[in-house]
Amino acid sequence: MSILQKVPFTILSILVILSCTENPSTNDEALKTAPWTEIAQKAEGSTVNFMMWQGSPAINEYINNYVVPSVKEKYNISLKISGGQGPEIVQLVMGEKQANIQSGQVDMVWINGETFFQLRKLNGLWGPFVGQLPNAKHIDMNDPFINTDFQQPVKGMEAPWSINQFAIVYDSARVQNPPKNLQQLTEYLERYPGTFTISNDFTGMTLLKSFMAELGGSPNSLDGPFDEEKYNGLSQKLWAYVNGHKKYFWKEGRTFPKEQSKMGQLYANGELLLVYGFSEGGIEEKVLNGLYPRSTRGYAWKNGTIKNSNYLGVLYNAPQKAGAMQVIDFLLSPEAQLRKANVNGMNSNTVLNIESLSADWQEKFKTVAKRQYGPEMKQLEKNAIAEPAPEYMIRLYEDFRKQVIEK
Amino acid sequence: MKNKSPNFGIILFIAIGVVPFAAAFIYALLYSFGVIGVANKGFTTEFWTSVVASGEFFRSFLYSLLIALVAVSISVGGALWSTLKFRKRLEQKFLSFVIYLPLAVPGIVTGFFTFQLFSKGGFFARLSYQLGWITEASQFPDLVNDALAFGIVLSFITMIMPFFVLLFLNVYKNERIEALSVLAQSLGANAKQVTQRIILPILIKKTWVLIVLYFIFLLGAYEVPLILGQESPQMLSVLIIREIKQYDLDKISEGYVFAVMYTLIVSAAAIVLFLPKKRRTYET
Amino acid sequence: MKPKQTLSWKPFVLSAAVLLILFPFVYLVLLSLASEWRFPDLLPSYFGLRNWATILGSEAGLLESFVSSLLISLSVAMVSTTSGFLISRAVFYHPKKNTLTLLAYFPYILAPVVFAACLSFFFLKMGLFGNITGVIVAQFIIAFPYALLFFSSFWNKKVKSYEDLVATLGGNRWQTYIKVLFPLAKGLLLICFFQTFLISWFEYGLTSIIGIGKVQTLTIKVFLFIKEANYYYGALSCCLLIFPPIVLLYFNKRYVFKKLV
Repeated sequence: MSILQKVPFTILSILVILSCTENPSTNDEALKTAPWTEIAQKAEGSTVNFMMWQGSPAINEYINNYVVPSVKEKYNISLKISGGQGPEIVQLVMGEKQANIQSGQVDMVWINGETFFQLRKLNGLWGPFVGQLPNAKHIDMNDPFINTDFQQPVKGMEAPWSINQFAIVYDSARVQNPPKNLQQLTEYLERYPGTFTISNDFTGMTLLKSFMAELGGSPNSLDGPFDEEKYNGLSQKLWAYVNGHKKYFWKEGRTFPKEQSKMGQLYANGELLLVYGFSEGGIEEKVLNGLYPRSTRGYAWKNGTIKNSNYLGVLYNAPQKAGAMQVIDFLLSPEAQLRKANVNGMNSNTVLNIESLSADWQEKFKTVAKRQYGPEMKQLEKNAIAEPAPEYMIRLYEDFRKQVIEK
Repeated sequence: MKNKSPNFGIILFIAIGVVPFAAAFIYALLYSFGVIGVANKGFTTEFWTSVVASGEFFRSFLYSLLIALVAVSISVGGALWSTLKFRKRLEQKFLSFVIYLPLAVPGIVTGFFTFQLFSKGGFFARLSYQLGWITEASQFPDLVNDALAFGIVLSFITMIMPFFVLLFLNVYKNERIEALSVLAQSLGANAKQVTQRIILPILIKKTWVLIVLYFIFLLGAYEVPLILGQESPQMLSVLIIREIKQYDLDKISEGYVFAVMYTLIVSAAAIVLFLPKKRRTYET
Repeated sequence: MKPKQTLSWKPFVLSAAVLLILFPFVYLVLLSLASEWRFPDLLPSYFGLRNWATILGSEAGLLESFVSSLLISLSVAMVSTTSGFLISRAVFYHPKKNTLTLLAYFPYILAPVVFAACLSFFFLKMGLFGNITGVIVAQFIIAFPYALLFFSSFWNKKVKSYEDLVATLGGNRWQTYIKVLFPLAKGLLLICFFQTFLISWFEYGLTSIIGIGKVQTLTIKVFLFIKEANYYYGALSCCLLIFPPIVLLYFNKRYVFKKLV
């Protein structure tokens, strides 16, 4: 038995010894000011690890069959993709910080505002680096939907990759006059009970933010830093509305789908008739590959739906920062951005300011095929609102559980 | 135990079977008190206080316990019945292959499949519509993501019952139950007595360790309740992971509090169950 | 011992059970070939190879992933079955075997995902992060206690007396294992091998944390699709996941079933 008793103490002492080691040694500060030729030279021949969400064949096709071979051919960079989105990236950074790992496993990541906020809080990102990228000059850094992420200035800590807007999605064959404000939603719910719900994740909370902005009376009612008093007032109204209509929700509001992907399934199999999501609702790809009905259409909320960008970042302990910068610069090139806009492929809006490009690139971007089913971002833009401060999201998560799910 | 090798075996056992668990547990414990964790500021009991106060853990624990209990009871019962009734036929070549097939299906696939069949827009709902039993998807009974956890229990049963059938068949053979039964019969026991006094006690006694093991395994199951569960109450692993991966980094430690509490309770239960009082009459 | 009654209900129940077991496999294959199939249609409007063509086109290196999965799972199954068998002998002949058995249960108490989250720190520190070795070690830690407990019922008085007999007759340890113990445990060893192979083959949470998505096993590659909205791709991924073990089972069945069942 004595061995057994010693185990915990041995582990504890190992733990203590392990947690105080190493000191920062690698210094990549120079890369923030070095001329691009030097960075490109350093990047040549490196192996770059890119962690990103891999749940869509259209995105994987773009990355595996276009980006990976292109950066190999152009810069002799071996780009390795590993799967993981927000929470996994945050967990990895927290783990590596905890273990004091100087040379990390991942160089670059694909993130949205939610993760940006968390990574900034952990000091998990390296930068600023965006100013160094030659192709960054084509990005309009004065666009508030690009230079501000969750009310937090980006300041070159992450490079915008695509821009998109949140849209409401419905089946036009089965629903006439879909709701555009909360009052119309009430009418919709009474008419089509059981066909609408709120996913208990990022997407659902984003919808609630739109609702809250409407209850606040204007598209910009949630702008600016977090305001406790404003939140309390508006959220009370919001929960009253949601709870008052719960009985018309999917499963009479007794439970809610865990994730947006689940909601997509429920829409695809005909259980739900009204859903929503980023990337203008993500309609085009899902119709083209036979998941959503061809009668699917999308639109914006009258008081506005959230528009934002998603970004590429370099991790604080990335071993190949130069390589990561080179890859990110390639992803921002007109060539790569045009390919990404293909309606039959990844189909995402470019972050480039098309006017700043050469005439022939302008021509190419302007003649990109239009979507057949989903709305173009241009059609929704007049109803776009900015992402409110992250604290709103934190509180909504918590209170949606307490005030709605557990009631 | 004349030579030294058993002790070497024990050391290996401790190194592989015990040390990692103990390490993980201590890590979780330290995390739950805020001693480690990048977003934490040092020792605090606030996470424990808030978790205990919310009561969510206990609801979740009870919920998981009931689900696991129902699923294991039905599975073991069904497997015993099948073994008793179909033992001979299950030894046929084709059948003996077929009953292995469910073992090759992991939890996530079972969950996925159950959802495809039983959701309100799923296969059976479409069938009911075609048969004229329902006219709207929402009229189909609530069988997945439902309050009674029907979907979860069903998935669990399809996952573990085949395993128990195989196990019982194997024990039946290895323990020469056939011979014992014949012997009992020749001594005048009737079929019912043979089943109740010989077959069942031997099968259960020989396998109860694995039965408990699968019970624990279901208690901590993750993928199936993730797909088929509801948002409140959730099964334990789903709850723990939700808290560990949550958006508010300041509260991640609460997830570790859940993990530690869960480990402590189940450990205590395991100690009560497995530290035997006296030598059992039936030698294992 | 043939059943006497002419009209037995048993064949019907059995046939129904067989159909029930086979149904999921058939349904998953059909779903992976379907498209545009939603309530209230009983049959899909599209049926063909489109989904397969899309996934096989977008997922570069599926074959590579398959090979690395096979390598990892075979190593884990081999090592944990062998060590589980050998070490369980030491454990179950030990005077304190009850305490030791109890300890072996503990790794089950923490669900693998939680276990992995708590262990990742140590793996990071030991440099076993993001590589195949790390994944094998992590999966072994999960599979080993299973294997160990799996053999708990094997080590009984009868086996012990066989061992003693060999010793009395002048056999050495090596001979005890080769001539007596392995042949006696052959059936159990095969089931255990198969089960630990499956534990490793399907392992996602642990593998994704320790391998941080860099060790691209087949499970890691296709698992994601099962949770995404497109359930046709989900069904396809399910097929890719479950058919390799079934093939393995089929080729093994001669060995497994002769000894067992």
